Amino acid sequence: MNNADNAARGSRRDFLGALAGMGASAAVGAALPSAAWGQAAPKPPAQPAGTVSNEAVLAGKDAALKPHSDRPLTASATAEYLGDDVTPTSRHFVRNNLFTPDFDEAKHTVEIAGLVDKPMTLTLAELRARFPEVSTQAMIECAGSGRTGFSPLPRGTPWPASGGMSCSQWTGVRLGDVLRAAGIRSGAVHVAFTGADFGALPTIPKVARSVPVEKAMERHTLLAYGMNGASLPKIHGYPMRLVVPSWAGSASVKWVARIEVLAAPLKGPYMDESYRIPRTPVEPGGRMPADAAMTEGWPVKSIITHPAPNARVSPGKPLLVAGHAWAGEHDISRVELSFDEGRSWRRAELNPAGDKYAWRTFSLAYTPPRAGYTTVLARATDDAGNSQPALAAWNPLGYFWNGWHRIGFVVAA
Amino acid sequence: MNRVVAGCVAAAIAAVGLLSIGIAVAPVGAQEAAPSKTLLPGKGADLTMQRCAICHDITHVTRSRLSRDEWEDNIKVMIARGMPIEPHEIPIVVEYLATYYNRDKPPPAAEAPSEQPAGSAAPIAGVLAANGCTACHAAEKRVIGPGFREISAKYRGEGQAAAYLARKVKEGGAGAWGPVPMPPHPQISDNDLARIATWVLQQ
Repeated sequence: MNNADNAARGSRRDFLGALAGMGASAAVGAALPSAAWGQAAPKPPAQPAGTVSNEAVLAGKDAALKPHSDRPLTASATAEYLGDDVTPTSRHFVRNNLFTPDFDEAKHTVEIAGLVDKPMTLTLAELRARFPEVSTQAMIECAGSGRTGFSPLPRGTPWPASGGMSCSQWTGVRLGDVLRAAGIRSGAVHVAFTGADFGALPTIPKVARSVPVEKAMERHTLLAYGMNGASLPKIHGYPMRLVVPSWAGSASVKWVARIEVLAAPLKGPYMDESYRIPRTPVEPGGRMPADAAMTEGWPVKSIITHPAPNARVSPGKPLLVAGHAWAGEHDISRVELSFDEGRSWRRAELNPAGDKYAWRTFSLAYTPPRAGYTTVLARATDDAGNSQPALAAWNPLGYFWNGWHRIGFVVAA
Repeated sequence: MNRVVAGCVAAAIAAVGLLSIGIAVAPVGAQEAAPSKTLLPGKGADLTMQRCAICHDITHVTRSRLSRDEWEDNIKVMIARGMPIEPHEIPIVVEYLATYYNRDKPPPAAEAPSEQPAGSAAPIAGVLAANGCTACHAAEKRVIGPGFREISAKYRGEGQAAAYLARKVKEGGAGAWGPVPMPPHPQISDNDLARIATWVLQQ
């Protein structure tokens, strides 16, 4: 999707109207090709069978969600649009690897296989009938979230410095309940998730990633079918997906069709070629070391959601500076804000902790002492004493950006 | 933080919506220019477009500036993810990307028109090969795209079929033959487009 399309989304009715017109012309063109082969003949529709168009996906999204690529579809909203405690579905980031598939929940199944005593294949209805329903608010964040903070810019989706993370409410069954029912055999080390989404060629490998058994069994790891109180939208994995909270988003496989208990980590492109990070820093622009680690839990991170960048604020009045902080497998212990580029820091107030993997909202009332341009830096620290670095260590695939978020606003005299 | 301020913050949290009203958000600044949907013309551009744009839009390439090492590594990742490419094509694609989308040096100036002027009398087989057509299409069987005879059978006899096909080659498209998109070929001259289209319809 290009920026012209973004602009068009500002007037969604017109945009969709234009698309509907295109579809109608394309249909006519298909039926009567010679009649449509003039200068104004439309391009043929580019929508493969069994998939959902980007236009249909984005029609369910907010204009604040900006696409970064159209094939595969990726999109995110930046921090100033992520102020809600619970990220609305309309602003939850999108990161596909392949097409957005259009599945039927009556036909789609998930297979539990590998090192289990009782392999099983379940439809969504069978899954729901068999296991208790749970709900939790949890972070999902693409491993490349914030990638454009790195210099030089590594390859991959150019997620904005404050885009590519979301914290919605997820409903489903505990993966641990399902695996216990299947009976994990001894020797199990990893559990692999494979999506049923597909790409342009039949030879394109499926999206698949494994996580250690301990994380698969963790009580917040869900086989989810609901998001923010509604059925899972197609773009977010309908009819079912993994939610592996606070880990690199690639673990939260959408449209999951197969869950396999393994004696070793899965081999495959989404394990061995991507989602790897050096164990110690490498020179910017350098190559991935052979012993690079798998991306797992996110490091401590925070974003400033209010005020918006370049906001105009009144002098002499308290301004609420607010945002969110999260820390992968850790808890947040404090968030500090600096209004003088890091010379001094003020401790922000933290909202009470919610679900284990939900971000913590922070805030501070700040009365700007003078008119003019003012900046805010946010720095979170977790309960293991890890603080966000000013800049995250460069790595070849641009993962785990957690540098201080910095915004500026103008105090209008 | 002292108690009084903490109390203010609690109130401020409740009033966050209210406070927002008083703050006019500045208009969003001009967006960065959208990345190009066509590759810079140069040796290997056609092959690169064909090999890359089957699976993903070409902006993933055109917005990138990487070192040669990174392009090499990236092609390895893409092959692992199913990129259809012959071994002898890999260095051509890497060389093209490392030349035209390099972090450390600007792309070379656009080359002078090739020694094959528009409407050249070069054998059609050479035109097809030079423009990468035969990387995806064969006479009879489907390779990545449909065979030339299939295309001919579908469109021959339609009015303006040659003009339609020429435009399809130039602009690309998808959906007519399945999910694999035909990448655009903006660098093929109009005369060569017409020759290709006419030849295909004769198959």
